[in-house]
Amino acid sequence: MKPLNFLALILFVAGLVWVFTLSEKSVRHIQRSYYSAISPLISKGSETEAFANKFLEEVEHSADLEKRVEQVIEERDRFKLIAGRVRELEAENNQLRNALDFKKKTQFDVVAARVIRKQPQMWGKTIEIDRGTDDGFEADPEFDLCVLASNGGLVGRLQLSGEQISSVLLITDEISQVSAEVEGTSEVGIIVGRQTTFGQTPRLRLRYLSKTAILQKGMKVYTDGRGKLFPPNIPIGTIEDFEVGPVYGEAEIKPAVDFTNLKNVFVITDSPGD
Amino acid sequence: MFLYSISLIGLLLLSCIVQQFLPPVSSWYDARILILPLIVLCGSVTVSTGIMLILAYLGGFLWDAQQILSVTQGDPFVYQNSPDSLKFGYSVVLYTLMGFLMQGIRPIFREGKWYLSAILAGIAIFLYLFVEYLLRGFVVGGFHKNDGMIQQIWASSVLTMLLSPLVFWILFRFADLCGHTIRYKK
Repeated sequence: MKPLNFLALILFVAGLVWVFTLSEKSVRHIQRSYYSAISPLISKGSETEAFANKFLEEVEHSADLEKRVEQVIEERDRFKLIAGRVRELEAENNQLRNALDFKKKTQFDVVAARVIRKQPQMWGKTIEIDRGTDDGFEADPEFDLCVLASNGGLVGRLQLSGEQISSVLLITDEISQVSAEVEGTSEVGIIVGRQTTFGQTPRLRLRYLSKTAILQKGMKVYTDGRGKLFPPNIPIGTIEDFEVGPVYGEAEIKPAVDFTNLKNVFVITDSPGD
Repeated sequence: MFLYSISLIGLLLLSCIVQQFLPPVSSWYDARILILPLIVLCGSVTVSTGIMLILAYLGGFLWDAQQILSVTQGDPFVYQNSPDSLKFGYSVVLYTLMGFLMQGIRPIFREGKWYLSAILAGIAIFLYLFVEYLLRGFVVGGFHKNDGMIQQIWASSVLTMLLSPLVFWILFRFADLCGHTIRYKK
């Protein structure tokens, strides 16, 4: 063996031993450093990508524009008729929205964020949002910040933060776990993600339910606040199916959030324990 | 050789950034171009074993820094069966194995038959992703056969393989600039 190759082998083995003996904290530190280093590039890249997509859309739509103008004129007259009714509904909607906003504000401190990338990784189910440590997200928190959709449903939790972007682990990922309860029952369990591929609607599993649980399709599932990861009473989804296993019962859950059309999210900035 | 190795490492770092901007092809099984592993594979066949080890180590390390998911564990009283994720550094081992696979046909590559290496790169990517898929299944638990995932793996391998001639062309240009001899001299 050549001396250079031998030296490289020694270095390689030493490096391998070092990397396999890294503590979880050290791994997270490495990942945060890496993420912080590349986050400005990702942030700029996503801006460029958004600009390019917008331009392409405009080009694509220009051909259809003429045809659409004719349709719009026809539709305009029809809309005039229903405009009056819409105004009434709008006023009512605004009232309800204000009430809801107020309710949300009293429950959590939230920061709105835009989803800039979906599933940047080969396997892990994550999204990236346009908020980071510059927006007050702690670089090394004791807990992961919780992320909600605009309908209040649970999206996931922050796993890494750069200056202007953050990575969110979705509850549909297999390593995600959420302690949950079924509405109107004493049943509690752990929600885990399921492996899905392209075209498949994400589904969740609610595990460790009692075998005697009486659960029906459509029953709602919420976070129960146990385990210090998520605040209580956040909607997760609804029960689709319930199976009784040899030890525990297990339910299939349809998520409350439409993950394929996720555009905006809200990050809860106070700790689940607060 | 030294300059070429440095430029190869530079290319590897660049591929980390490029990898971030390669979205999945949603119209074809969500296939992805895996540029970072491809640089390691194509680079491995152009250098000695020692440099290949360094390249595989760096590639695997950077890949895991990008891909491994790590989250805070909750109260163990509630989350009694916290799922394990793959150990940071496992990609270093897989990349090294792929590197040795590529090194096996280095003599043929040096004769100028680069296309065999390109095909092997596709096969190596497939094996890598398949092993990763199996490892994830066994470590996380609840492994079950998923045809969609297999399709995604082979489509990603094919897509990545199609890019390998371009990577080889870049490596040959780099080698010329750095005065490094990849092929046997005629």
